[in-house]
Amino acid sequence: MPAETMIECEKLTKRFGHFTAVDHVSFSIGKGSIFGFLGPNGSGKSTVIRMLCGLLEPSDGHGRIAGFDVARETEKIKPLIGYMSQKFSLYDELTVHENLTFYSRLYGLRGPTLAKRREELIALTHLEPYLEQRAGLLSGGWRQRLAMACSLVHRPRVLFLDEPTAGIDPVARRELWDLLFEFSSQGITLFITTHYMDEAERCSHVGYIYMSKLVVCGDPDDLKQLPVVNPPGTKRLDVTCDHVTVGLQAIRHERGILAATVFGQSMHLLVDESLPEQFLRDKLAAVNIQHADIQPIAPSLEDVFVALTNNSNNEGAE
Amino acid sequence: MKAPFRGFNAILYKEFIVVLRDPFTLFFMFFPPLIEMVAFGYALDNDVKHMAMVVMNEDRSVESRQIVDNFVNTQTFRVVGEVQNVTEMAAAIRRGKAYVGLQIPPGFTRDLHAGRTAHVQVLIDGSSSTIALSALNTSVAIALRQSVMSLLKEAGLREVPVEVRPQILYNPAMKSPNFFVPGVIGVVLQIATTFATAMSLVRERERGTLEQLLVSPMSRWGLMLGKLTPYLCIGMFMATGLFAIMHWLFAVPIAGSLAALFASTLIYVFTLLSLGLLISTKAENSMQALQMCMTLIMPSVFFSGFIFPRETMPWIFNAIGSLLPTTYFIELMRAIILRGATMTEFWFHLAVMSGMGLALFALCALRFKKKIG
Repeated sequence: MPAETMIECEKLTKRFGHFTAVDHVSFSIGKGSIFGFLGPNGSGKSTVIRMLCGLLEPSDGHGRIAGFDVARETEKIKPLIGYMSQKFSLYDELTVHENLTFYSRLYGLRGPTLAKRREELIALTHLEPYLEQRAGLLSGGWRQRLAMACSLVHRPRVLFLDEPTAGIDPVARRELWDLLFEFSSQGITLFITTHYMDEAERCSHVGYIYMSKLVVCGDPDDLKQLPVVNPPGTKRLDVTCDHVTVGLQAIRHERGILAATVFGQSMHLLVDESLPEQFLRDKLAAVNIQHADIQPIAPSLEDVFVALTNNSNNEGAE
Repeated sequence: MKAPFRGFNAILYKEFIVVLRDPFTLFFMFFPPLIEMVAFGYALDNDVKHMAMVVMNEDRSVESRQIVDNFVNTQTFRVVGEVQNVTEMAAAIRRGKAYVGLQIPPGFTRDLHAGRTAHVQVLIDGSSSTIALSALNTSVAIALRQSVMSLLKEAGLREVPVEVRPQILYNPAMKSPNFFVPGVIGVVLQIATTFATAMSLVRERERGTLEQLLVSPMSRWGLMLGKLTPYLCIGMFMATGLFAIMHWLFAVPIAGSLAALFASTLIYVFTLLSLGLLISTKAENSMQALQMCMTLIMPSVFFSGFIFPRETMPWIFNAIGSLLPTTYFIELMRAIILRGATMTEFWFHLAVMSGMGLALFALCALRFKKKIG
């Protein structure tokens, strides 16, 4: 993509004693992207964010925001970035209005400029009805909106969000993403960590970190085409039938079935290309499942990450 | 852009709201010091009065009853019972029924009239040294006075040849509160204020809000001063309350100027709050902060001259005392409140306290890293 680079990591490394939390991670993110950063708990996601925000000193390598080095030019990146930590750091004793005022002042806003910006953010996040409520009494979704508004007071060009949707109900989650798309359309580069695959699918770019190493990084559609995800001589099938869990038990250990997992009313299978459809129908019939609708499918992002994780584990084992 | 106290007004605004909205913390900042003040003030009373005494009068004469009366008239003793033998008397003291046993042997009146030394035995419970010392001094004084009186009568004199006329300055009634209460204020202020700032920064770390502050362009001096100022106001408000209790409840007169009193207190509270902030840069959680505060309170109680005079301490404890801001504050308070000293007379104390305060404040701002981990 030709867009200018906003966030750049070059062999970024963080060691805590003998433990390497982030191991030579390199990637670059263009302006206006929505970058989804995925990986299991403890894989190093938050550590990368903290280094990019200038909170943690990298042990090795470099991080740059808009060309400024995060370790040496920390004060220069501060006005450029907004950070929403995992815990939505708000002051519970302060009302919504006061939290906004506090963060605005912290970033040097005052007088009419402050009031104008505060009103803009209230309108953007629809916090109007809750202005006089204490932040501690807000529900998860509204706390989230407030935290987001607070991290935007100074019009940052990059917004880091560390698991912004953890513990939020689906409706609030959807609304939050609508807001994120709005920020993105305003040219803000978003860097989001998440565990939700549906959220990853919404990102323009995704990176997957596993055991401190960046396993893959790129456009979601490109990732689905990776050879690791689609090993030669295999195909992916969607099998819709009654009693999917019974069906899964019946076929999962058969020869030619490489991976099998349940998705609601259907199973997703990775099978040998030569495996005949009738073989599956016979096995299912043996457990009294007479009707099965079998369709070829493309891999999902979840398939991508499962395949990549297994692949790195195998590599590690060898 | 390069303001050294960047973020100060934001932190100040937030901190004032947080402090005033948290009735729990506010209550525990104000209530215990006031209770401690009253309790300390009453408990730390060295004036020994009306201590329980059992009498074993084997003489049973007018003269022997007179000597018992002399004991009671000093106000130091009160008779709580009569015993018949030494075993009973020892038991009464051992059981804590009496601190003192007065034994007048059978030959007391006879010896007195015969011009021989008449013996009176006083048994004192030495397990509390202050009480024992007071009982001892009073008994010796009674015996001496009695002896002098009878000698005067024999010699036909009306006046004693030499008389010392002591005049106690600044605390003429030798009231204990006058001595202790200014010290109590010093210690109580330390307990309340050090803990307040120590907790306030540690709590931000625990709640994760500190990270949010650290990604902002706020300066560490702005953060520290913004954290300190609200508690300085609260500390001064509290000190005013403590001075009021001292003056109205314990009737301690304030001889010096109120301006000197408050100026010294302001410097002292600033020093304590800086100490609290320094603790918060070191402590990882509230438990550690609490332990560090408690550890620092102990020497202030024992080595500051609050209870025990520093002059009689071994040099090492004396040296420890001279490192404590509380030591200087207590000496200043006694000077200003009791002796009406002026600030210029005690410039050294003020200079040391100010130096400590500024050094601690600078140290915590410099020690505070704008990074985590």
